[in-house]
Amino acid sequence: MRPFDPRLLRFARSARLLLASGMLIGIVQTAAIVGFAWALAGLVTGFIEGRHAFELRGLIALFAASVVVRALAAWLWELTGLAGAARVRQELRKQVLAAAASLGPDRLRDRSSTELATVAGAGLDSLDGYFARYLPQLLLTGIATPLLVVAMWSADPLSGVIVALALPLIPVFMVLIGLATSAVQRRQWEALQELARAFLEVVGGLATLILHGRQHRQVTRLRAVTHDYRRRTMRVLRVTFLSGFVLELAGSLSVALVAVTAGLRLVDGTMDFLPALFVLVLAPEVFLPVRNVGAQFHASADGMAAAESAFAIIEEAADHRAQSEPGDTDAARVDSLSAAAPAPPGLHVRGLTVQRGDQRIVDAFDMDAARGQVSAIAGESGAGKSTVLDALLGFAPASGLVLLDGAPLTLDRIAWAGQRPQLVAGPIIDNVTLGARRIDTLLVQRCLALTGLAGLPLERTLGPGGSGLSGGQAQRLAVARALYRLLERDLPLLLLDEPSSALDEAAETALISSLRELAAEGRIVVVVAHRESVLRRADAVVRVGALEHV
Amino acid sequence: MSEPRLSQAARAVLGLARPPLHRLLPAIAAGALSAASTVALLACSAWLITRASEQPPILFLSLAVVGVRAFALSRAVFRYLERLLGHDAAFRELAELRTGILSRLIPIAPDGTRALRRGELLSRLVHDVDDLQEHPLRVIQPLASTLVVLTAAVTGIAMLDASAAGVLLACLIVGVVLAVTTQSLAAARAERTIGPLRGALADALLDHFGAFETLRAFDAEGASRERVLALGNALQRASARAAAGAGLTAAVMALASGAAVLGSVLVAAPSLFAGDIGAPAFAVVAMVPLAVFEVAGAVPLVMQARRIAHAGAERVAGAVPAEAPAGVPVAPARPASVPAGAPHIALRSLSARWPGSDRPAIKDVDLTLAPGERVLLQGPSGSGKTTLAHVLVRFIDYQSSYRIGGIEARELHPDSVRRIVGLCEQTPWLFDIDLRQNLVFAKPEADDEELLAVLERVGLGDWVRARGGLDAPVGERGALVSGGQAQRIALARALLADAPVLVLDEPTANVDGARAETLLRDLLAASGDRTVLLISHTGAPTELIDRIIDLEPTRETDDTPASA
Repeated sequence: MRPFDPRLLRFARSARLLLASGMLIGIVQTAAIVGFAWALAGLVTGFIEGRHAFELRGLIALFAASVVVRALAAWLWELTGLAGAARVRQELRKQVLAAAASLGPDRLRDRSSTELATVAGAGLDSLDGYFARYLPQLLLTGIATPLLVVAMWSADPLSGVIVALALPLIPVFMVLIGLATSAVQRRQWEALQELARAFLEVVGGLATLILHGRQHRQVTRLRAVTHDYRRRTMRVLRVTFLSGFVLELAGSLSVALVAVTAGLRLVDGTMDFLPALFVLVLAPEVFLPVRNVGAQFHASADGMAAAESAFAIIEEAADHRAQSEPGDTDAARVDSLSAAAPAPPGLHVRGLTVQRGDQRIVDAFDMDAARGQVSAIAGESGAGKSTVLDALLGFAPASGLVLLDGAPLTLDRIAWAGQRPQLVAGPIIDNVTLGARRIDTLLVQRCLALTGLAGLPLERTLGPGGSGLSGGQAQRLAVARALYRLLERDLPLLLLDEPSSALDEAAETALISSLRELAAEGRIVVVVAHRESVLRRADAVVRVGALEHV
Repeated sequence: MSEPRLSQAARAVLGLARPPLHRLLPAIAAGALSAASTVALLACSAWLITRASEQPPILFLSLAVVGVRAFALSRAVFRYLERLLGHDAAFRELAELRTGILSRLIPIAPDGTRALRRGELLSRLVHDVDDLQEHPLRVIQPLASTLVVLTAAVTGIAMLDASAAGVLLACLIVGVVLAVTTQSLAAARAERTIGPLRGALADALLDHFGAFETLRAFDAEGASRERVLALGNALQRASARAAAGAGLTAAVMALASGAAVLGSVLVAAPSLFAGDIGAPAFAVVAMVPLAVFEVAGAVPLVMQARRIAHAGAERVAGAVPAEAPAGVPVAPARPASVPAGAPHIALRSLSARWPGSDRPAIKDVDLTLAPGERVLLQGPSGSGKTTLAHVLVRFIDYQSSYRIGGIEARELHPDSVRRIVGLCEQTPWLFDIDLRQNLVFAKPEADDEELLAVLERVGLGDWVRARGGLDAPVGERGALVSGGQAQRIALARALLADAPVLVLDEPTANVDGARAETLLRDLLAASGDRTVLLISHTGAPTELIDRIIDLEPTRETDDTPASA
C-alpha cells in the first residue's frame, strides 16, 4: 500500500483543503514545540542560576503560550480531520452514486447490492481513522521532523547530526523487516481469516450439527483449532513486532546518545547548559510523529481499502463514459427500423441477442405481442426469460430489433415488475406511486384491488427492503406499482416477470383476470411465466430457447 | 464515569476473555517496566546534563551514563516483551472465550436465541466475540501497568520534593478525569446523534441499490439518490459538530501536561533556592512530568477501548443467555428408551411458542403420520409451518402431546428424537469445506462410494461428476451451490443419517418455479419408503402425496413479517 493515494485529491476536492489546513496546523504546532522546549530549558537553567520567577516572566509567558497553542493544535487536528473526513465521505458517496447511475444495472451486476451499499456507506466510515489520525501524523512527519532537526542543529550541530543520522535508519530497518515479514504476515492474515471462519462455521451451522447429533464434540474441536492458531500466530508475531521494536529502540537510543554526548561536552566546557537542555527536550519530539505513523498504519489501511473500492466504481464509470463518447448510448445498440418501413402496431422483437462474455444468453429471440392481448414468455429455467425483459428495458447489452408501434422501445413507455419485488422503506402508498408525477389515491386503491391487496392500509409503513409484508404480498405490491405507472401515464406496454410465483391458485386466477381486463383496453401485456395455469390463459405463448410458437 | 453499569451477565462474558493472573502478570510487569523506562530515561538524562553542567570529575557521571543507555534499551526491549506476552495470553484466552460461548450456545441452539436465526445477528455475534479478545490487550494490561508507573513516578518525585509531587498528582488527576469525561460525553453524543443517522443512511443505501433496477424503470433513481445524499449531508453536519468534542481529549491532556511542568518548576524553585534540593534534582522534578504525561496519555485510549468492549460484552450476553430460556427443550434426567422401527407420529391438540415469545405460534394442532405416509402440510406464511417442523425435531418445546411410537417425545432424549425424525432445513447450512466433509458428518463411517451413491439418489450425480467429485468446494455459506442443490445436499445428509421420518421444510423456497417441481419429485423419490412430512406454501403435485393438511394461522397471519 502506498502511504498516500493521490486519487484522494482528485476525487475528493475537499481533501485538498484538509491537506492545506493540516500543513498550516503542523507548522504552528512545530513552532509551539520549539517554543515550549526553549522556554522549559530557559526556565530550568534560569532558576538554577538563581534568578527569580519575576525575572523569568517572559519565559513563563512563552511557556504558557506554547502549551496553549500546542493544545489548540491538538484539538484542531482532530476537529479538521474528523470534519474533513465527513466531507470527503459525502463527496465520495455522491460520486459513487453518480457513477452507479451512469454505469446502470448491467455493469453493476457483478457487485451485490449489499456490497455497493457498504462501499457508499459504512465502508467510507473507516476513512475517519485515516484522516483524523494517520494523515496528521504523516503530515507532521513531513513538516515537523525536518523543522525540529533544524532547530536542534542550530542549537547544537552535533545533536542535530545524531538525530538526522538515526531518523533514516528507521525506515530502512522497517523496510528490511517488512520485507522479511510480509510473506509471513500474509500467512498470518490468512490464518486469522481461517480461524474467524472456523468459529462462524461452528456457530452458524449449530442447528445442522445438532440435527445430526454432532454438537457435542465441537467444543473440543474448536479449542484445538484455536490453540493451533495461537502457536502459528505467535511464531509470526515474534518477527512482526520487531518493526515496532526498531522504532522504539532508534528513538530512545538517539535520546540517550544526545544526552550522553551533551553531558560529556558539558563536563569539558565545550557546550553550554541551556542548549543542552533544549536539545534534550526536543529529541523525543523528533521521533514522535514517525512512531505514531507506524502505530496508525493499520487504521489507515482500512480507510484506504474502503476508498479503493469507491475509486474502482468511480473510475469504471469514467472509463465507460470515455469509451462510449460520441453519441453511442445503450439504446442505440438495439437498431431501429428504417422510417420507410410501415409501422405495425404492437411490440415486435426480431433477432434479439444478449451476450455476456463468451456466453450467449439469448440467441436471436423473436416475438410479436399485439395490443389487446396477454402474451406469455415461457421457457426452461435459465433459458433467459428474464434476460429478454432486461434487454427490452435496456438493462442488458443486446443487439437486434425492438419496435413498439414502429418506434424504438424506450424505458419511458414501459411499466415493469421484476422477479424480486424491490420494495423500499416507507408507506405503502409511496411504494405504489414510486416515481409518479401525481398521487391519485383512488387509482392507488384500484391498483391494489386489481392485485388482490384491497384491504391493505395505504399509510402502513414498510421497513427497509419492504420488510413487514409476506412474500406473496410483496410480490402483489410490486405488480400494483407497475399497474399504477401503467394507468397513471397511460403507457402502452406492461412487462411482468413471474408475477404469480408466490401466489396460490385463486389469487393467480384473479390476477390474470385483471391483466386480461387491462389488455382488453388496448394495451400490450407481456408476462414471463412457467406455470401451465398461466400459459393456458395467455392469448399467445412464445418460448425462449426454442423457436416454437404455441 | 457517566456510563451505565455493566450487567452481571456482561461481566461474566468479559470474565471469559480475562486471562488468569499468572499469564496476565508477566505482560503487565513488562508493560510497567517499559513505561517506567520511559520516565527513568528522561529523569536520568536530565540529571546527567544538569550534573555535567556543574563540571564534576567525569567519574561521578559514569553511573548516569550507564543508566541512560540501559533505560533506552530496556524501554524498547520490555515493550517488545509486553506485546509478545500480552498477545500470547490473549490468544490463549481466545480459546476459552470461544469455547465458553459455544458451550453456552449448544443447549439453547438453534431457537433459544435470535442470534442464530438471523444472518446479520450471527455475524455480529461472531465479530463481537472476536473483538473481546482485545479486552486484556487494550484495557486490562495498559491500565494496570500505567497505574503502577504513575504511582511510582509520583512517589519518586515526592522523595525529591513533596510539593512538586502534589502539583503533578493534582494535574494528573484533573487532566485524566477531564479527558476521560469529555471523551465519554463526546462518544455518548455521537452515539445519540450520529448513530441513528448512520443507520438511516445505511438503510437508504440498501434500498437504493437493492431496488436499483426498479428505481430506474420508474424514473425514481434520481429522487432516491437525492434522499440518500440528503441523509449523507445531515450525517456530515452531525459528524462535524461531534468532531469538536472528540479533539478535546488530546487538548486537555496537553494543557494538563503543561500545567504540571510549569507548576512543578514554580513550586520546586523555593526548595532549590533554600538548598533543600540540588540543581540536578530540580531538573529531574521539572522534566519528569513530561514523560509521566506521555505514559498517562494511554488512559483515555484505554477508557475508550473499555467502553467499546463493554458494549460488545453486553451484546454477547444478550445474544447468548447463560441459561436456557423457557420453551427450549431440556433433556430428561432419565430418558425413555427409543421405540424400534418406523414409528407412528401422533400430535394431539399440540401448541407451541417460540422461546421469548408470549403468544403461541401454533395452537391445537392434530396430526398423525403413519409409517411410510407422505403428507403435505400447507398454509399461508405465518401459520406456523416452520414452528411445527422445529417442534418435531425438538428444537422448541410443546404443550399437550407429541408421541413417537406411543412414547411422549419429552420423555426421550432430544438427540434420540432427532435420530428418528430428520429435518431438511429451509436454508441448510453448508460448511465452507469440500462436499465430502459436508456429507460425512451425518454418517462418519460412510465411505466415498456410499456418499456418491446417496448423491446419485438425490439427483446430484451428474453435478458432482462435473465438479470433479467429492473434493469439490461448496464455497463460503454455500456460495458455489444453488438453492436447489443445497436442498439436495441437505436431503443427502438426512438419508445418510437414515431417520425413518423426514420433515422437508419448504424445500422449494429458494428455487425458481420451473425447477421447483422437478426438485420436489426428486426429493420425494429419493426418500424411498420413509415417512415424509412435506411443508410447502405453494403445494405439490397431488400424485406424489397421500394426504394434505391445512395449517390455519393462529391469528392475523397476513401481518406476520416474511422473515418470521
